[in-house]
Amino acid sequence: MEILSIIFIVAGLFFLIVAAIGVIRLPDVFSRSHAVSLTDSLGAFLMLVGIALHGGLGTNMLKILVVLALLYIINPVITHATVRAALRSGLKPWKKETS
Amino acid sequence: MAIRSRPISPKFLFLKAMVLFMFWVLLSASFEWIHLSLGLVFSFAVAWGNAGHSSFVPKFRLWSRILLYFPWLFYKIVQSSLHLSKLILHPALPIAPQLISVESKLNHHAAIVLLGNSITLTPGTVTAEVDRNKLIVHALDQPLSEGIKNKQIESKIAEIFKDQEPDL
Repeated sequence: MEILSIIFIVAGLFFLIVAAIGVIRLPDVFSRSHAVSLTDSLGAFLMLVGIALHGGLGTNMLKILVVLALLYIINPVITHATVRAALRSGLKPWKKETS
Repeated sequence: MAIRSRPISPKFLFLKAMVLFMFWVLLSASFEWIHLSLGLVFSFAVAWGNAGHSSFVPKFRLWSRILLYFPWLFYKIVQSSLHLSKLILHPALPIAPQLISVESKLNHHAAIVLLGNSITLTPGTVTAEVDRNKLIVHALDQPLSEGIKNKQIESKIAEIFKDQEPDL
């Protein structure tokens, strides 16, 4: 169980690090939001499952599952609000130069 | 005072309060009488305050289909997460961001919400604008935008909502 939780947490960390690198490397708000959604969905999921397994059965596991459910409902809304605000304020998405 | 659209049914009020109370016990995880009685008082207060807002229509078939949809969505999330990680870690950064506009055939508010939420939850695609059943989606590269255009998610959601009354 301990080893399984370590595997989950390390896999979650991998996605969090990739997302951080993505935020630095990608060119504009729209594409950076994709990197952030990588953290939201898979990174947070793997980390929380790892923590839940580490804690073992009990109320803490249930609380973590509640957090996970709320995260999956709320995070897309926040990402959508950010991207929509960027689009409505007239920001043009970055395009690859064809030269 | 809030305007109540329909009379409060005591049975429904009690049911709502019990669900809230269960949630309270789950989160507080303590069985001392002071915590339990406080929780009971507050769950009835909250249930009373929200009593007039919606009617209770159980839709167990719909909810069970939505629950069955989540594992499939999770599989898609894993798939596109791996694709996106490969893109970000690639030395040449081979991205081709694009805005695409998609018109869906879904005719429920809840179905559109579920579609937009699924698209945003899948890494690499973000719903940027929703207007009735037209969505503007920002995708990070060609394969990801193809995945939106071939309407795989939409047909799954249409399958879930197939026997519901349209309300859009």
